[in-house]
Amino acid sequence: MTCAEALRVQAYFDAELAPDDAASIERHLPRCPGCRTLLAELEQTRATLKNVPQLRAPAALRANIFAALDVEEVAAAQAAPAKPTRGASIRTRPFWIGAFAGLGVSVLAAALFAFVMLPFAAGPTVDGLLTAHLQSLEPQRLVAVVSSEHHTVKPWFGGHADVSPTVADFSARGFTLVGGRADPLLGQRAAVTVYRHGKHVINVFAWSNKNTVLPEATTRNGYRLLFWRSADLAYCAVSDTTWNAMEELRGLIEAQIVAEQRVEISKGLDETE
Amino acid sequence: MSDERRRFEAQVLPHLDAAYRFARWLSSAPGHADDVVQDAMLRAFRGFGAFRGADPRAWLFAIVRNCHSTALTQQRRRASDPLPGEDEGVDFVAPDAGPEVEALRRDDQRAIDRLLAALPEPYREVLVLRELEELDYRDIATVASIPIGTVMSRLARARAALRQEWQRTLKETA
Repeated sequence: MTCAEALRVQAYFDAELAPDDAASIERHLPRCPGCRTLLAELEQTRATLKNVPQLRAPAALRANIFAALDVEEVAAAQAAPAKPTRGASIRTRPFWIGAFAGLGVSVLAAALFAFVMLPFAAGPTVDGLLTAHLQSLEPQRLVAVVSSEHHTVKPWFGGHADVSPTVADFSARGFTLVGGRADPLLGQRAAVTVYRHGKHVINVFAWSNKNTVLPEATTRNGYRLLFWRSADLAYCAVSDTTWNAMEELRGLIEAQIVAEQRVEISKGLDETE
Repeated sequence: MSDERRRFEAQVLPHLDAAYRFARWLSSAPGHADDVVQDAMLRAFRGFGAFRGADPRAWLFAIVRNCHSTALTQQRRRASDPLPGEDEGVDFVAPDAGPEVEALRRDDQRAIDRLLAALPEPYREVLVLRELEELDYRDIATVASIPIGTVMSRLARARAALRQEWQRTLKETA
């Protein structure tokens, strides 16, 4: 036999009752064995459901969504450059202009989407770097050596990667050193320095590349790839953060490289004296 | 990046994982959930300018649910395609591996997954929103577009059904 208060006991369990009602249920419970059993069962069911794993959205889905948002944003900006909001522009124009504009947006969006999604535009390095970046975002894959100390990460590269790039923590400037790992890239073990900037992960790949031309900075599937060369190493930063942030990090790393070179040079001068 | 995009990334995108989980529970076919969530995020972005509510998560869930229904309707129109999620609960069915292969805890977890996936959708939906995503009754009512009274009665039945099935499973394995 179910008590007439059963639904209110459930609401009490779910913290949905106003204080007065909750108090009345608390008075009811000691008098009603059925409702006490119900409350225990509700707690049991909740405990059982705690075992259900918390799935996360796959990295590829996340990347596709960012790409689609990029396309949407560009399409919206092109369709209504002077209008403050999309909603306003739709209301104030005759419907057939809206219809044609809509068609234009769709065609443009489709064209841009194909452009962003198709792999024809860039060489194997962009693909390889993006794949490495996406893999690093899977659980437990981000860093092989966890440390915010460049004294720990730099020597680790010495034993695990083919190059030993400049490593420094820029927490004071908003780029926290998380650690490092080595990724296979272009037939060598590239050194990857991992930074966190706000909620964004930035992977900075470094590999030996003296002569070949590096790709232009590019956006792929919502991720930005920024290439540069410093001393005899090629670098690529990959992240879903802003271009500004990536350029800032590049500037910090380059300044660090120059500073370390100065130290090297002055050391060298000391030795020759 | 536009201001709207920034606000969207700050307020809505953090709920991507939750939206994906909800879509997976609506339909256990993994590819289907990907399509539904991608579609839902794009629609959410387009409608974000008009969003005035307090909780972007419940709002996003409602869009996910609409996209799921739309996708199902389209699939039903196509002649004899089997419905994903109704027959092929592939992901949540325990494999026929030897009895000692899986650790006990993992078995428990799979059993719960299977029982939850086997609940009829209207019950599974409210239970997932309440117990796994911890929405309150009002938000569940909004997402599922049903009155709060219906939320309460479905929730009660869903919990009772799940508990009953769970205890039967325990007896069978004991």
